[in-house]
Amino acid sequence: MWSRIAYAFRETWASFRRNLTLTAAAVVTSAISLLLVGTTFLIQRGFDNLLVRWKGDVQMIVFVASDAAPEQIAYIENTIKSQPAVIDLEKLKYLDKAASFEEAKVIFTGDPTLLSLLTPETIPTQFKVVPLTGDAALVRSLAEQYRGLPKVEGVSLAEDEFQIISTLSGFVRTVTIVMSVVLLGVAVALIWNTIRTAMFARRREIEVMKLVGATNWFIRVPFMLEGLLQGLIGGVASCGGLWALNRAWTSGVAGFKPGTGISALVVPGSYVNGVMVMLLIIGALAGAIGSGIAASRFLDV
Amino acid sequence: MIRLDNVTKVYGTDSVAVRDVSFDIAKGDFVFLVGPSGSGKSTLLRLMNRQERPERGDVWIAGRNINELGDSRVPYLRRGMGNVFQDYKLLSNKTVFENVAFALEVIGKPRHVIRQQVPAVLELVGLEDKHDRLPDQLSGGEQQRVSIARAFVNRPLILLADEPTGNLDPATGEGIMQLLDSINRSGTTVVMASHDHRIVNMMRKRVIQLDRGVLVRDQERGVYE
Repeated sequence: MWSRIAYAFRETWASFRRNLTLTAAAVVTSAISLLLVGTTFLIQRGFDNLLVRWKGDVQMIVFVASDAAPEQIAYIENTIKSQPAVIDLEKLKYLDKAASFEEAKVIFTGDPTLLSLLTPETIPTQFKVVPLTGDAALVRSLAEQYRGLPKVEGVSLAEDEFQIISTLSGFVRTVTIVMSVVLLGVAVALIWNTIRTAMFARRREIEVMKLVGATNWFIRVPFMLEGLLQGLIGGVASCGGLWALNRAWTSGVAGFKPGTGISALVVPGSYVNGVMVMLLIIGALAGAIGSGIAASRFLDV
Repeated sequence: MIRLDNVTKVYGTDSVAVRDVSFDIAKGDFVFLVGPSGSGKSTLLRLMNRQERPERGDVWIAGRNINELGDSRVPYLRRGMGNVFQDYKLLSNKTVFENVAFALEVIGKPRHVIRQQVPAVLELVGLEDKHDRLPDQLSGGEQQRVSIARAFVNRPLILLADEPTGNLDPATGEGIMQLLDSINRSGTTVVMASHDHRIVNMMRKRVIQLDRGVLVRDQERGVYE
């Protein structure tokens, strides 16, 4: 058993060195495509942060001052509920101070100064309003009405800030996903080609191996390991790239003026770590798939 | 040991390589497959080690119909067979020792077995002093001896040789035949394809003659006609 394992690793390493140029091309391509995949995830997460307060068809947010008394909050709620023909009462949601603070932590990840000023005591609470009507003018007039209520600090409309970002997010998502899928396909094809070339270069050896009774798996495994390793190295490189990119972005955003809203686009470190683990797995899988197909397809050399 | 029952092999749609061939080879036999180029000798050898499958008929090896063998079992069939070729099929980047050891290594034999069996078989073929040479540094006859050592190192029941003397001068060819004869005397069944009259006539072994894929003669202690 040990001799088989040692053989597989020895052959993998030898083949790796033999096809250095092709291997480098496959590794670089998979690194770039994986970096793009990772960036897609981070951009998407950034937009999700930005849009988190508008989740679930929310079209209007009524901010209530942190010092509002319970009866004042109830008054605002009753006013909103007094128009059941226009407002979806089932979806009407009130975020108390704790819930609002949790939401703020996501939105202001990249703005630690602002976040430090907020506390669960000072943060405004919110009513998330889902209108039943698609009439924008009517929703706007409702907003005007709510703005006049006591202890209402302000009313935000999705129409004003959500839709542009949402459209932009959709566009960026489509472009980056298409590009990553295409590039990942190219990476798999390059790894496939590298392994095919390696097998062709060793066709005589493979023929002898088959004639003396080596199993197909015994022949395949070093080639598959080689492809897996190429994908994995590409994955490691893309993780380094993603880490550097995210670091540059985070420090860049920190330099912006507070309150621009861009800070929501900063992604927390734990999420980035998760994406990096995923990139390693995708890289290894892409390598194993590309080489696995080649190793099965071209065994009859 | 080897039995062919009405075996027909067709390449493509209409190129018949072997037509309705049947014969039995007993354990320990030495058999020549003779006939001109294209008569089907090599195809028969390839049918015996399952490099090819017949369109009709059955090939039995050691009591098993190898046509019914699953692909995953074929390597185990081949571990009981040695193969020798006209062009030696040695790996040019490996030494004599490594070429022979390779046959044991790829079937997962442990190192101590390899260290024990390879020198023994190199001594048998008379190359114990050249174990560290590369194939390019050897003569044709020596390269064929390495190829025979590789085929025999696992002590197979059957040795299939396809024109093993085809690239060698007569004297060297005779030396190779003596080696194959001694391997046969140790109990290994040898099937050798050849169109070398001199070698066949010298050995006076069983001769199976093919002509355009058809078996035309099967003779004990035969000669090349």
